[in-house]
Amino acid sequence: MSFENGEATLSGGATRLWSRRNFGGLAGYAGIWLFLAIFLIYPLIRLFYDAFTDDANAFTLMNFSDFFTDTYYLKATINSLLLGVATVITTSLIGIPFAFLLLRYEFPGRGLFSYLSIIPMIMPPLVGVMGFVFIMGRAGTVNVILMDYLGFAKPVNFMYGIHGVLIVETLHLFPLMTLSIVDAMGKISPSLDEAAESVGSRGLRKFWDITFPLTTPGYVAGALLVFIWTFADFATPLVVGIDDLLASQAYLNIVQFVDRRLFKMGIVISAIMILLAIVFLIVAKRYVAQKDYSSLSYSVIERRTLSTAGNIGVVVFLSSVLIAAFIPYFGIILDSFGKGWALTPFPVKYTMQYFERVSIETPKFILNSLLYSGISVAICIVFGVPIAWVMARTKLPGRDTLDSLTTLILALPGTGIGIAYLRAFRDPFPFTETALIGMWLVIPIVLGIRRLPYTVRGTFASLLIVHKSFEEAAESVGAKKTVTFKDVTLPLIWKGVLVGSLYSFILALQEASATLLLVVPGHEMMPVGIFNFYMGGSVNEAAALGLILIVLGAVCLFAINKITGAKAGGVFG
Amino acid sequence: MNIELKDIVKSFGSLEAVSHVSLDIKDGELFTLLGPPGCGKTTILRLIGGFHEANSGRILFDGKPVMGKPPYERNIGMVFQNYALWPHMTNAENVAYGLKIKKVPRNEIVERVNHALGKVNLEGLGDRYPGQLSGGQQQRVALARALVLNPGVLLLDEPLSNLDAKIRLQVRAEIRKLQKDLGITTVYVTHDQEEALTLSDRIAVLNHGELQQVGTPWELYERPANPFVADFIGINNLIPGEIRETEDNGKRAKVATKFGVLLGACDSRLKIGDKCTVCVRPETAAIGERKNGASENMIPGAISFASFIGNTMRYDIDIGENTILRVDIQNPRNHSPHDIGDKVNVVFSTATTLAIPS
Repeated sequence: MSFENGEATLSGGATRLWSRRNFGGLAGYAGIWLFLAIFLIYPLIRLFYDAFTDDANAFTLMNFSDFFTDTYYLKATINSLLLGVATVITTSLIGIPFAFLLLRYEFPGRGLFSYLSIIPMIMPPLVGVMGFVFIMGRAGTVNVILMDYLGFAKPVNFMYGIHGVLIVETLHLFPLMTLSIVDAMGKISPSLDEAAESVGSRGLRKFWDITFPLTTPGYVAGALLVFIWTFADFATPLVVGIDDLLASQAYLNIVQFVDRRLFKMGIVISAIMILLAIVFLIVAKRYVAQKDYSSLSYSVIERRTLSTAGNIGVVVFLSSVLIAAFIPYFGIILDSFGKGWALTPFPVKYTMQYFERVSIETPKFILNSLLYSGISVAICIVFGVPIAWVMARTKLPGRDTLDSLTTLILALPGTGIGIAYLRAFRDPFPFTETALIGMWLVIPIVLGIRRLPYTVRGTFASLLIVHKSFEEAAESVGAKKTVTFKDVTLPLIWKGVLVGSLYSFILALQEASATLLLVVPGHEMMPVGIFNFYMGGSVNEAAALGLILIVLGAVCLFAINKITGAKAGGVFG
Repeated sequence: MNIELKDIVKSFGSLEAVSHVSLDIKDGELFTLLGPPGCGKTTILRLIGGFHEANSGRILFDGKPVMGKPPYERNIGMVFQNYALWPHMTNAENVAYGLKIKKVPRNEIVERVNHALGKVNLEGLGDRYPGQLSGGQQQRVALARALVLNPGVLLLDEPLSNLDAKIRLQVRAEIRKLQKDLGITTVYVTHDQEEALTLSDRIAVLNHGELQQVGTPWELYERPANPFVADFIGINNLIPGEIRETEDNGKRAKVATKFGVLLGACDSRLKIGDKCTVCVRPETAAIGERKNGASENMIPGAISFASFIGNTMRYDIDIGENTILRVDIQNPRNHSPHDIGDKVNVVFSTATTLAIPS
C-alpha cells in the first residue's frame, strides 16, 4: 500500500549528483511533474470544476443537491457501496484461507495450486462475465442440462442481477487478496507464530489473535484495491443487466448525447466516485502506516503436513474455488470455437471463422491493443523509473507527493479518470481544429497514467533491495555514477522494472473503463471490441477476441513467473 | 523438571542437523548448549520445545515421553532470539495472552502479569507497546511472557545476541539470578563461550550436530575432551604430538612434538604411542627464561604480532613450522613491551599443560 516501510536510504551521494548535473537532472524532474500536472492533476481539477459550476461557469452546489435528492442515485450509491463491501467479504473468505494454506501447509499439488491461483486475474472481468453467462446464463450449459435432463421447469438465475456481478468480481479478484496476504505474511517472522504456540494458542484462535492482526496492513491494501476495482467497474454489471450502480450510471449518462442535465450528472457521479476513492485511500493509508509489522526477515517457516482428511479437505476446497474461477474460460473457449450453440449444453459444430473475423478480417483490435499498450508501457518506464529512483534515492522536495500521487492513481476509478479526460481535453489545440479527445494518442496516455504505479512500485521495490552501500562500494573503487548505475544498480533492478512493466502491459491490454469512454472511432482496442460485439449481439466474435486477450495476458504472466519465480505481491501491495 | 534426550537425530533434507545426541538435563539446573553457528544447538532447543519433531530418538520430560506433542502441551516457556513479541499487543497483553488462552480468571491475570513484569523490573511499562521499549526491555518482556505460565522448563534461544555489550552483561546477571530464585530448569543456547562459562551449571558443546562434551564450566576448561572443545572454550594454543612416556599412573606424560619434548598432565584415555594434542592456555604462558628448578616447558620463537587490550598484552609468537603461539600477559603495567621480530622464549608451567586425544 505504501512506501513508508522502505524509507529510502537517504543519500548524500544522490543529492550531490543533483547539484552536479543540476540542469539536466532538474529539467528531467520538472518534466515528470509537468507530465503529471497535465495528464493527472489538471483533468481531475477540471472534473471537480465542472461538478461545482453551472452552465454559466458560476459556482454552485446545485449539481450535488440534485444528486443527493434523487432517490435513484442514492439507491445506486448504496448499491455500489454494498457491492464493494460484499466483494471484499467474499474475496476475503476465499483469498485469506487460500493464502494461509499455500504459505503454511504442505499438501498434494501445493505448487500447482499456487501457480493456478493467480490465473483468474488475467481474465478481464468483462470477458469473465461473458464466459459465465455462456455456461451459467439463462440458456447456458448448466441451465440447458438442468431443464432438458433433470426436469427443471425454469432456468435458474445464476447470473442476472447483483449476485451475478458479485460472483464474477469475487472469482476475478480473490487472487489479489491472496497475493496481498501472502506478501504480508511472508514478511512476518515465524517466531511470532511459534511464540503463540508456546503459550498455548493454536488453530483458529492463534490465527485470529496473532497471525491475522499482523497481516492487516497487507489485508487492508488488498481489500482497498478489491473494493475500488469493483466499485469502478461498469462493464460487468451492464453485461448482466444491472445499471443501478454508480459506475454504470456515470457511463450511461456520459455516453448519451441527448440530455445535458444527465451529462452533468455523469460528471457529478464521477467526482463523487473519485472523492469516495480518495477518502477510502486516506483511511486505509493511515491505518497501514500505524501498523507496519514487517520485519523484513523473510525467514522460512517449516510447512505443516496435514492428516489424510485434512489433505482431502484442502484439495477439495482449493479445487472447487479454482474450478469455479475457471468456468468463464470454458465458456469463452466453447463460444469462440462453437457454431450454432443454442439450446444445447455444448456447441454442435466448431469453427475458426470467428477468430478469422476478429484477427484477419478486422485486425485493428489486436494491433491497436498491442501498439497502444506498448506505448503506454514506454510512458510508464520513461516516467515511472525516474519517479521510483527519486523516491528511493533522493530527498528532493515533492518526493512524498510523488508517492501519494502514484498511490492515488491505483485508487482512481477508471470511469472517473476517463470522464475527467473527456472534460479536460475536448477543446481543440490552439490554432487547430483537433482536440486531444478524438486523437488516438489520448488512449496510450491515459493507459500510461493508469498503469504507472505498477512500474513505479516494481522499480522502487528493487531499488530498496539494492542498498545504497552497493553503489557506494562501486564508487569507492573508482566507478563513476553512470558506470555504477550501469554495472551495479541496473543489473540488480532490471527484473523489478521488467516485472512492473509487464504488469502495466497486462493491465493496459485489459483496461475496459477509461478506454470505453475515450474510444476513438477506428482506433478501438480489444476490450472495446469485445464490449461492442457483445452488446451488438455478435457474441462469438466477442468470445474469440476475449480468448485472444486472455492468451496475451497468460503469456505475460508466464514471463513474469519465469522472471520472478511467482513472487509478485509487492507490485499490488 | 528433568529432561532426557535419547539418541536424537534430526535431519533437514539431506543435512543432518542433530546427530545421535543424548543429554540428561537435571531438575533446576541451567544447562547451556554451546557451539558455533550451524552446530545444531538451536535445533535441539526447538526439539525440546516441540517446534521440530526428531527423525528418531526419544525425548522424556520427568520420564514421560513427549514426542509428537505440540509446544502447547509440553509446559514450556520459550524466549526467542528476536524476542517475538507481538507488535499489535501491549507488553501487558503480550504477557497476559497465554493466561487468557488458559482461561485464567481476569483479576488473577492482572495480578500475575503485574507480578511477572515486576520480577523483570518492568513495573509500569505494561501499557506500552514492544516497539516503544529498548532491546533489553523487550528481552525482559519476552522473559516475563515465558515465566508467567510457570513452565516446567525455560528455553532461551541466544537471548542476549541482539543486545549491545554493556546491557548484555547486565541482563545476563539478571537471568542467572531469576533462574536461581525460581529454581526453574533452563536450557540456554549460545555461541559465546564466555557467556556459557559464567552462566551455566553445565554445558554441552556441539559441533556439526554432534555432541563433543558435557560438563561443568570448570571441567570443560580444565579437561577439554578434544581439540575442538579446547579451542572453542578459549585455549588457543594447540600443538600436535605423540605420547612418549607416562608417569604417575598415566596422569602425567612426556609428549614428543616438533618443538621438542613437552611435559604436562595427561588425559586418562591416552596411552604411550598415541597421537595427541598439547593444550597451552595463553594466560598461563609467559615470555622469558626458564627459572632454575621450575618445572616449565620452553619453546623459542619470534614475536609476530602484538596487541594491547587494556588489561592484557597479547603476543603472537611464531615458533616455526607454521605455528603461532599466543601469550596473554595479564596486568601488563610493569611489563616492558617487546617489538615485532624480537627473539623470545615462550615458557609455560608443566602443571597447566595438558595432553588430550586428537
